[in-house]
Amino acid sequence: MSESITLQIDDHTVTVSAGATVLDAARQVGVEIPTLCFFAGRDKSRPSCMACLVRVNGATGFMPSCATPAEEGMTVESECADVRDARRSAMELLFSDHLGDCIPVCQRICPAHLQIPAVIRLVAAGELEKAIKLVKDSVALPGVVGHICRAACENGCRRGKFDGSVSIRMIEREVAQVDIAADRRYVPACGSSTGKRVAIVGSGPAGLATAFYLLRAGHACVVYDEQSEPGGSLRYAVPAADLPRSVLDGDIEIITRMGMEYKANARLGRDLELGDLIETYDAVVLAIGNLADTDTESLEVKHSARAIRVDAKSFATQTAGVFAVGAAVHAQRDVARSVGDGKSTADAVERYLQNAEPPSGGRPFTSTIPHLAEEEYRTFVTGANSEFVDSDLVGEAAEAAGRCCHCDCRAADNCKLRLYAEQYDVDPKRFQGESRRSFQLARHHAGVVFEPGKCISCGICVDITEDGKEPLGLTFIGRGFDVEIGVPFDRTIAEGLQKVADAVVGHCPTGALSFDDDS
Amino acid sequence: MPLIFSSNVEQPMIDAADAAFIDALLERTGTGPESAIPILLGVQEHFRHLPVHILTHVSRVTGISPAQIEGVASFYHQFRRRPMGRHSVRVCHGTACHMAGAPRVTEALRRHLRIPDDNDTDPQGEHTVEDVFCVGCCSLAPVVQVDDITYGHQSYQTAPAVLADFRRLQTARSAAPGRNGNSKDRDRAAAGRITVCLDSCCVARGTQEVRREIERIVNDDGLPVEIERVSCPLMCEQMPLVELHLPGSPPIQYARVRPRDVPGIMRRHFRPPRTPGRLRAVLTSALDRLADGDVWEPMAHYPVDARDPDVAAFYGPQLHVATEHYGRSDPLDLDAYRTQNGWGGLQLCLESMTPMDVVEAVCRSGLRGRGGGGFPTGRKWQVVSAAEGDGKVVICNGDEGDPGAFMDRMLMESFPFRVLEGMAIAAYAVGASKGIIYVRAEYPYAVQRLREAIALCRADGLLGRGIMRSGLAFDVEVFQGAGAFVCGEETALMESIEGRRGIPRLKPPYPAQQGLHGQPTLINNVETFCVLPWIMRNGADRFAAIGTESSKGTKVFALAGKVRRPGLIEVPMGTSIHQIVNDIGGAVPGGKAFKAVQIGGPSGGCVPAALAHTPVDYDALREVGAIMGSGGLVVLDEDDCMVDVARYFMRFLMNESCGKCTFCRIGTVRMAEILNRICEGTGKSSDLDQLAQLSEMTAAGSLCGLGRTAANPVNTTLRYFRDEYEAHLEGRCPAGSCTSLVRYVVQENCTGCTICAQRCPVAAIPPDPYRRHVIDDELCTRCDACRVGCPEKAIVVESGNQVVVGETIHMDARGETVGAKAQDE
Repeated sequence: MSESITLQIDDHTVTVSAGATVLDAARQVGVEIPTLCFFAGRDKSRPSCMACLVRVNGATGFMPSCATPAEEGMTVESECADVRDARRSAMELLFSDHLGDCIPVCQRICPAHLQIPAVIRLVAAGELEKAIKLVKDSVALPGVVGHICRAACENGCRRGKFDGSVSIRMIEREVAQVDIAADRRYVPACGSSTGKRVAIVGSGPAGLATAFYLLRAGHACVVYDEQSEPGGSLRYAVPAADLPRSVLDGDIEIITRMGMEYKANARLGRDLELGDLIETYDAVVLAIGNLADTDTESLEVKHSARAIRVDAKSFATQTAGVFAVGAAVHAQRDVARSVGDGKSTADAVERYLQNAEPPSGGRPFTSTIPHLAEEEYRTFVTGANSEFVDSDLVGEAAEAAGRCCHCDCRAADNCKLRLYAEQYDVDPKRFQGESRRSFQLARHHAGVVFEPGKCISCGICVDITEDGKEPLGLTFIGRGFDVEIGVPFDRTIAEGLQKVADAVVGHCPTGALSFDDDS
Repeated sequence: MPLIFSSNVEQPMIDAADAAFIDALLERTGTGPESAIPILLGVQEHFRHLPVHILTHVSRVTGISPAQIEGVASFYHQFRRRPMGRHSVRVCHGTACHMAGAPRVTEALRRHLRIPDDNDTDPQGEHTVEDVFCVGCCSLAPVVQVDDITYGHQSYQTAPAVLADFRRLQTARSAAPGRNGNSKDRDRAAAGRITVCLDSCCVARGTQEVRREIERIVNDDGLPVEIERVSCPLMCEQMPLVELHLPGSPPIQYARVRPRDVPGIMRRHFRPPRTPGRLRAVLTSALDRLADGDVWEPMAHYPVDARDPDVAAFYGPQLHVATEHYGRSDPLDLDAYRTQNGWGGLQLCLESMTPMDVVEAVCRSGLRGRGGGGFPTGRKWQVVSAAEGDGKVVICNGDEGDPGAFMDRMLMESFPFRVLEGMAIAAYAVGASKGIIYVRAEYPYAVQRLREAIALCRADGLLGRGIMRSGLAFDVEVFQGAGAFVCGEETALMESIEGRRGIPRLKPPYPAQQGLHGQPTLINNVETFCVLPWIMRNGADRFAAIGTESSKGTKVFALAGKVRRPGLIEVPMGTSIHQIVNDIGGAVPGGKAFKAVQIGGPSGGCVPAALAHTPVDYDALREVGAIMGSGGLVVLDEDDCMVDVARYFMRFLMNESCGKCTFCRIGTVRMAEILNRICEGTGKSSDLDQLAQLSEMTAAGSLCGLGRTAANPVNTTLRYFRDEYEAHLEGRCPAGSCTSLVRYVVQENCTGCTICAQRCPVAAIPPDPYRRHVIDDELCTRCDACRVGCPEKAIVVESGNQVVVGETIHMDARGETVGAKAQDE
């Protein structure tokens, strides 16, 4: 039965064999259609998510491509505005009943976007080397930040209203201290040399952070500063009582080891001219701190009395190849912001050097947990995995690490719903209403975490447990809006998933079923 | 909802008695996965809920997976995991009941029984109060059922008394159990025959009690009278209807008879045989009636006469095809059915037509599906007839779920043989040997009657092998649903019969190609089957001559709501809504203005009074935004809020969505939330736009009929009554029915009689005598008890500072009251 069928999908003419679906045909010619509930090989008569809708033969209603058989002469519209609109609306409705933070509030608030819960899990597991590595992914100066950042994250901690925020800054500081005191310190591996050279004027937190990430990417960095020692305001304005110089030196030492070339006593306008730098280097970053301290006449870039004008997303001035960051751009109240902007500037410079598009500045997509009822809040907080604490840290920090609720989504990076939400520019709050799932969380001894609040009721897990001959398995419970996935007969998730937990987690299109650890 | 995270508590072991019960149950139902629903219905009936250790046991002994049992048990409304009170109190929230104040009835009962907010059962475990969607007694709205006793026309004030009456009845019953069947005792019929209808809604009106009273007198006096149950006389508001057939005279009907009227009626027509010389029953005359007038309350109870203008107006424009011979004979009297040409249609098919001839005749008749969609029946038959397969099935869809519809229930209860004959004709035409009637859980009488009818037919060679000595082999079973509106959708219905959750399948393939267990399946609605015998006997052309160009024949409607004469009607297609409401229904009572008809239930729409000239026709109704539907027709008047109507249907659909497709599962909830906000006066102007977006998307992105039509009630109300939506956004409910937007106000003409204070269930009115009463707006629950009870009509309902219900009273200088009719607009 190798009858072939020819159909039209947007501008493509596709020939498939009989029995193929519209989705099969679309994939054959590279037309991307999002799918959430689709699971190859399962009963095709039960499409539910409606993310894969297409218009068939100009009809008013839409059809799910994953379950619609391809037919001879069929005309399918997939990339037109109203089909995309329908898919987006379906996802927006799913988000209106989706109880999860893709990115936790602490991490969203942190100006450096430190992956806080992930770091805390490593700390709690005693994996301090991995922890400092992850910290340095976002924070080039962890010792400095751990001492003097404003700990905005702690204001956002969801545990705050319950029994006080987790002492996030303290944990981060401990991670940095342990590294600074270590015999073998963590030095990030730098990419192979690109042959490009970048001049950075100013060695305050923004300049140092920019240098850190550019070095890591394999570019050579020369940092100019009017002072003899690097550190800028950190060394010459912040009291040593707040920031011990050993900590500052400890953070800078690593950048030096990464290959930073420091040129002391070089002041812009006095000892060096911007025009020369532009000619000598492939790019220039101005991290010269507060303009009030600067001879502004020497600046050949557009500025006001207080600040250099830059594009808010790319930190680029109007002069090609010249970037500006830190207090020179706007007043800095939080060192975490300076450090975070340093990373962003490094990214923008990197793109410039590679002739790539400048960064769009778009924030990664996240859905947000709405206000929780008191009882849910308790479940939420007590879901913290404090039993995993096994750390060499001093008691206080270990205890703090044990209090984290881990509100980040464990599946944030492999969640199909989030992926398509980014692609379809979904507004997760468009259909936000009063009714929603309740917050529940269940743990399985094999490390499976079940959060029904994130479930889209696709039933893939139900099919897998049925095929896998689980004695209890999972099933749909209830109906309509209240339908949820659960274990029959009031049994626990551990009893429901005795054989196929791995497969179930692997195929869950969201973070409803996930593994606890990050590996 | 089961707790999925409860700790692993050891479940109790099943005891020997329970295990024996399960064994006996499984003996009856079978143990395959397709028996899941009958098994669970049996467990539920026995234990009054589904105890988890019993479910575990059932799973172990049958091998049906825990996932299937849990999935099915949590899908259907009939099943509950929480123990239930000793008595079930069910408040009907069908359309007619809702509009007549069912929410207040529920509130009254819950308050009376002191049921906590998070529960449905009183603390003593005595009563469980549940809201149910349509028990099919719409003409009695609002309806409350206590176990098997139905009480009609309830209100906030009367509902608690129902419980007391039920207790009294329980005591009386245990003393003298009544009979349900017929006293088939031909030789007793010498003096005459008394007939009563015992269909569900008549029983709800008290016919069972009337019948017992008749029986008591007949037995006590030893009267040679036969008492017989008959099919539905259709005229609901005349129930209980008692008909006397006396030798040599036309039948005499008594309407609205109460048990206490029975002795009077009996005394008038029959004399005890012991009285010498008076053996023969005496016939009443009009004179007699006048003389004895004091026995009946005039207006409330009167003999029905076909010459009565009311009755003539009710029956006049009707044409009875599906309901032919209504009200004449016992629904289970096979001989009587035969004398009414019963089985004649089938006989004709078997003797002188080929199966193809039959299919061709159905095509020629122009018959379209009466379940709502209006798909040409003949075309469906052609497909099934042409399909390959030796296990073809004919399914009769009796899952009549539309709130406000009870035609199919009446047809199944009153004309079970006609349903079976129609199915047998279909089986012959398409080559099926198996038939299933799917009856919704809320219709226990229908299930019982159909099962009895099937047994009678089998015994008489009308079902089984060699039907009527022909080659036709066809047998029918009844499948009882478990409470899910979506199972009226044909593919969900088949899933349900196969023992699963009632989730619709994606079409194609259509049931006609691959239906029940993958076999070609013909599925038609009850009414569709009921017209088939008539078409066969009278010819397709005669049927096609009735009606309009695109809609042939007749249609049965359940006429309910704000009309003087509610009831079941059958009219030729093309009859206008105006004729139905005004001529047959006798117009809106109480001088109120006719506002709209809700036609077609949750998938239908509201047709405004201005479009009442619209004929009953599939296409004409679709053009105005409604659908023919299965036949629910609820008349709305000026006191009915159209936004509330939309909210009512959206909530219904939200509860009945199977929960598979995103747009229907979540979209209906979001629409219901928006409508609720608007009704509560907290709507935003952007809400109307979002409502329109959601309704459009839900229609375009859902896969089954439920989702695709879910927005229809919103669309038609938005289209024809947008001003009402806008008034709500401004904080005003023109109909005065949205409780958050109205307040109760005592006017100047209050005499301080304290009746309102005594009636107020929440003590919101201090009982200060001889002073104008004051209502505490914070405490007031808007139950309406004070306004209805006020002898001075001093209490009115205000919304947005306008009086919307009641009359504005001004006192003139001399203290005389001057009334003015409330202005709505």
